Amino acid sequence: MTTDPDRTLHAIGLGRRFDDRWAIRDVSLDVRRGEVLGLLGPNGAGKTTTVRMLTALIEPTEGTATVDGFDVRAQADAVRSRVGILTETPGLYDKLSARANLDFFGRLYGLTAAERARAIERWLRQFGLWDRRDDIAGTFSKGMRQKLAIARALLHEPAVVFLDEPTAALDPEAAFVVRDAVEQLRRAGRTIVLATHNLDEADRLCDRIAFVRGGLLRVDSPSGLRESLGQPRLIVRLAPAGLAVPEPAMTALGAIPGVDAVKPGDQGLEVIAADPAAVAPEVVRALVAGGVDVVEVTVARTSLEDIYFQVMGARPSSDGEVA
Amino acid sequence: MRAHIVWTVLRREWIETLRNRLLVSTIIVPPVVLTIAPILLGAFVDERALPPELAAQVLAQRPEWAAFTAGELAGAFAVQQFLVFFLLMPAYIPLSIATFSIIGEKLARTLEPVLAAPIRTVELLAGKSVAALVPGVLAGWATYAAFVVLASLVYGPALFGVVTDGSWLAGVFVLGPAVGLSSVVAGVLVSARVNDPRVAQQIGGVIIIPIVGLVLIQATGTLLVGPTGYTILAVIIGVVSLLGLRAGVQLFDRETILTRWR
Repeated sequence: MTTDPDRTLHAIGLGRRFDDRWAIRDVSLDVRRGEVLGLLGPNGAGKTTTVRMLTALIEPTEGTATVDGFDVRAQADAVRSRVGILTETPGLYDKLSARANLDFFGRLYGLTAAERARAIERWLRQFGLWDRRDDIAGTFSKGMRQKLAIARALLHEPAVVFLDEPTAALDPEAAFVVRDAVEQLRRAGRTIVLATHNLDEADRLCDRIAFVRGGLLRVDSPSGLRESLGQPRLIVRLAPAGLAVPEPAMTALGAIPGVDAVKPGDQGLEVIAADPAAVAPEVVRALVAGGVDVVEVTVARTSLEDIYFQVMGARPSSDGEVA
Repeated sequence: MRAHIVWTVLRREWIETLRNRLLVSTIIVPPVVLTIAPILLGAFVDERALPPELAAQVLAQRPEWAAFTAGELAGAFAVQQFLVFFLLMPAYIPLSIATFSIIGEKLARTLEPVLAAPIRTVELLAGKSVAALVPGVLAGWATYAAFVVLASLVYGPALFGVVTDGSWLAGVFVLGPAVGLSSVVAGVLVSARVNDPRVAQQIGGVIIIPIVGLVLIQATGTLLVGPTGYTILAVIIGVVSLLGLRAGVQLFDRETILTRWR
């Protein structure tokens, strides 16, 4: 058993090779109880392989990992009974009702009849599927199917829930429904590992994000990532848009204490500063004094997309080439 | 191997099978036809005697039929040809169920959540195999029972004796389950490699060819297999099937299913 009761998942140097190709290597991470960890990376980055190793579905080629204190290699059955997984596709039995689907898995996880009945009602009610409990899963919408699959993953009260691309291939409405379900779990203090390539989803739902591409490139909280990798700035919209700012005004902007750089933006200027809000009034005054009309000034939050490409090291150009 | 887990898998398989109309019709229609066809054929030939040459040949092979009337001999000869068809049921029904079950799960991608549960792959394989085997064997036995009752009612004790002699009993109750087992094994092995149930059934159907051969041999009167022959054949088929099942267990390895099955 693990020595740290707060640490649910612990991996050191985990890696998996298929034939002569490494899918992922050197994964070392800890997940605390109640934490939501995002595995963020492009298709083929090794997210699913990592999830499969941590859920004892496939054996690691190298390294070790424990889930709730149990070794994924030596105590695979114990690990499987302590994790819940939403696979890339819901994998429901379409000819069985929602209740029968969950009942089947409840039996596999060794729940008694009373435990199954309780758990099935609890999760179907929580995800708004109770009224459809006797309908066959094949008649459900994509969002409902995904929610039913999440309920299946939670039926046996797992220590860690793994959600592999929960909103991939869903329309915006279904994706919203599923994100809402994940948000409910997050609020309830569930320990979740969320593999995704959806940046917004990771940003909104995760306490920490692990960037994955053949290995773990960086692990940090969204705010920590923004602090260390983001570039705080003011976006200044001018009238008319695209106006060339006179040289004296540019010089005045550059001279404002706290302003690191000024560069042309899409609709005006971008002012780089450690504390953009603090320099905003002085920036507006300098521009107005220089005869420039200011329409709007906003403090820009660095997007996770910017950080993603910084960490991954390449951003594709509009024609698909990697810059 | 935990019996309650095998039962859980088996129970789900049967519920799904019963909701698959195509599969259910595959299971029900042929046994009904096979029950009625021999009776109709027997009725058709009832009052017609066999050609003298054939009658002499039949009596040489079956001296115990010497007391039959010409009509009874013709009826006995006709229904005798159908014994081997009762072996086809335990062959094709498990093959259909096993291929639909395994390939269906591959296509619907339902195996990964199952394998993520604390189930051993041998339990999953056992559940699927028994779920496929039992309906075929039971269908064969039930059809045979119905056939015996009908034959007795229509033709009286003479034909009852024919369809309940040692050959029939050994064929239906010993060789039938062995053929069913081989059919399940073929279904498992083939389904692991292909993604279309019909293709799997065609490939798996190769195992039925020896049985068809047996039908032809019986029909031409070249060789009449007795109870001992059927039992020996059952043992051989059973041993070969168990060897095949070992290979099937390898194919049902968790990692193989997740990483190699496409």
